[in-house]
Amino acid sequence: MMAHPAGRRYSGCARSVETGRNGGAVSALEIDSLTKSYGEVRALDGVSFTVPAGEIFGFVGSNGAGKTTTMRIILGVLNADAGAVRWNGDSIDLKVRRRIGYMPEERGLYPRMKVGEQLTYLARLHGLSATEAHRATEHWTEVLGVDHRRGDEVEKLSLGNQQRVQLASALVHEPDILVLDEPFSGLDPVAVRVMSEVLRGQADAGVPVIFSSHQLELVERMCDRVGIVKDGRLVALGSIDELRATEQRQWRLSGTMPAGWADGRIAQWPGVTVEPDGPGAWLVKAERDDAAQAVVASALSVGVVSEFTPVRPSLTDLFEGVVNEQEVAA
Amino acid sequence: MMWLIAQREFRTRTFAKANLIVSAITIVLVIGGALIAKPFLSEEEDAKLVEVGPGAETLIPYLEAEAQARNALVVFEPVNATDLGETPDEDLELPDGTTAILVGPAAQPVLYLEDADEEVMSIASDASRDMVLDRALTDLGGDTAEVSEAIAQAVPSITIVGDSGEFDSGQFFAGMVVILLLFFVLIQSASVIMMGVVEEKSSRVVEILLATVKPATLLGGKVLGVGLYSLVQAATMLIPLLFAGWYLDLFTTLDMEAGPLVANFVIWFLLGFAIYTVFFGGIAALVSRQEDIGAVTTPMMFLMMVPLYLSIYLVPNNPDGVATTVLTQVPFFAPFLVPMRAAFGTISTGETVLAIGICLVTIPILTWIAGKVYAGAVLNTGGRMKFREAFARG
Repeated sequence: MMAHPAGRRYSGCARSVETGRNGGAVSALEIDSLTKSYGEVRALDGVSFTVPAGEIFGFVGSNGAGKTTTMRIILGVLNADAGAVRWNGDSIDLKVRRRIGYMPEERGLYPRMKVGEQLTYLARLHGLSATEAHRATEHWTEVLGVDHRRGDEVEKLSLGNQQRVQLASALVHEPDILVLDEPFSGLDPVAVRVMSEVLRGQADAGVPVIFSSHQLELVERMCDRVGIVKDGRLVALGSIDELRATEQRQWRLSGTMPAGWADGRIAQWPGVTVEPDGPGAWLVKAERDDAAQAVVASALSVGVVSEFTPVRPSLTDLFEGVVNEQEVAA
Repeated sequence: MMWLIAQREFRTRTFAKANLIVSAITIVLVIGGALIAKPFLSEEEDAKLVEVGPGAETLIPYLEAEAQARNALVVFEPVNATDLGETPDEDLELPDGTTAILVGPAAQPVLYLEDADEEVMSIASDASRDMVLDRALTDLGGDTAEVSEAIAQAVPSITIVGDSGEFDSGQFFAGMVVILLLFFVLIQSASVIMMGVVEEKSSRVVEILLATVKPATLLGGKVLGVGLYSLVQAATMLIPLLFAGWYLDLFTTLDMEAGPLVANFVIWFLLGFAIYTVFFGGIAALVSRQEDIGAVTTPMMFLMMVPLYLSIYLVPNNPDGVATTVLTQVPFFAPFLVPMRAAFGTISTGETVLAIGICLVTIPILTWIAGKVYAGAVLNTGGRMKFREAFARG
């Protein structure tokens, strides 16, 4: 159905992604200690992370946590109080900024301008020639399945299709960096798949992709690394596996054990918690595997064990864990 | 980059369906109106016919000379006694198309007429007096030509002192055309820029644009594009009006000159555009929603309507009074006051040059303020932003 998005190149706008200016090092977008306050409210408090070329970076956090502020600072539409954003080690100037593909949280297109004209115009604003802009518009509308609406005004499109056009506007100038604020919100499953494939294709072509989302399953599936932001601070950073490694391991235990069977024994197992998890089922959390085995042995002594399986925490669990932990600490 | 933005603005505005329709209607109305009005305006006055009966024929050269001196269209036609019937009296009926009948004797002629046509009456009495005077002079051996010349020169030279109170409708009309057209075009371009700025804010497209262009470039491109659009708009109105003026011979009738009118318009359009539209384009960024736009358009309306009304009422009544002279040098007033005073011929070249100079100095300052406010407010969403806050942030 779709052409591979990464395969196309337009003359005059070739990327310089694989190697940067730092003696052949891989290009990277570096966010360094960003701080931003709105009056009394501290929106960002020393946020730092780096997204190397070819990586999809998921940016998650509650509403108002600071994701949009970070992205707007990257794009230069907002100034940080302190900190810096660098591309290949240099501060981002207007020239670099024009090579970023940006999808703002609040979608923005001229409602009464035709899709094709609008994309061509935006591509030209990013420095493409008229011919290149026209060709790129045709390509991206085809890839995103809105080619048949090129002659329609944007406001006549469904929200989902407007979203596709919005993504096309971020891609139409073949950007070196992609910064997308909630690109998946409001999309149907088909559009989600198309957009995921496009982002993967971009990353495979060497573009660092940062996107924020509340759809944590999607972030878990797509992202190479994740940053969790809360109250303006980055509280977790790493691949999903790395984030899991910091968590206690969990198992699900079920069987004919009587309710409260573990209460009297828990003192024998240091670093272990056993919590009811539905009728005849318990969630066992332990820092070490042999401690968990001791719990199973004990369960077998009071009943018949029908299930003992490791539970891999989802990003949702990790997110909730991190956020709650912060709240408790606060 | 700025040119790209300007091109988009120009194309979107100029080729918008509504604009094309309105422009077409304007052209059709003005040119069609001129074509329709022509026969009514150019209808020539018919010459009055005065029949000159027996005994009064000798008056005809004097009558014609008097009519010519008055620039009156009167034809004198000799008729014989039989055409007049019996001795004429008050029951006499004038033939159709005849204004009056004059019968002899030449020294004391009798004038029959239905309406008291003062022009014909005075021509007849003066002609009669001229003839009698002529005869008397000849009888005395004088030179009639010499006397006529002496009489012609015996005219006092007239000087009107104080306010003449005379209202020159031609000048007023010329001034009105220029300032109303200026007002219309300037208010339209300022509104278009303001709505464009707010549209980009409310649709949030401005965030994408500002990720690739500077605020100044964006505002500059907008101003340039809308400026070109407004010039086309002005031409759409001005060219049909000039055609109508030429076709209906209004310039001659009202004693106007098209050249200075157009020059006045062009100069003050450019200066007024730079003063009003750039400034209000920047100010418009203070609001984020179309429904809040009144908060910025109302002051703009006032700032343009007050000078307009002052031009209409102050200049004709007090063309070189203190208030008029002082306000002429205030940048927001000058674009209306100067063209109006120029139409009345009551502004000196020095005053005009000074007004243009002050405007030229003010424009960069206003542009700088507008640019700062725009940059400070353009990404602000939600309610209306305070001018001072936006200025400080920009």
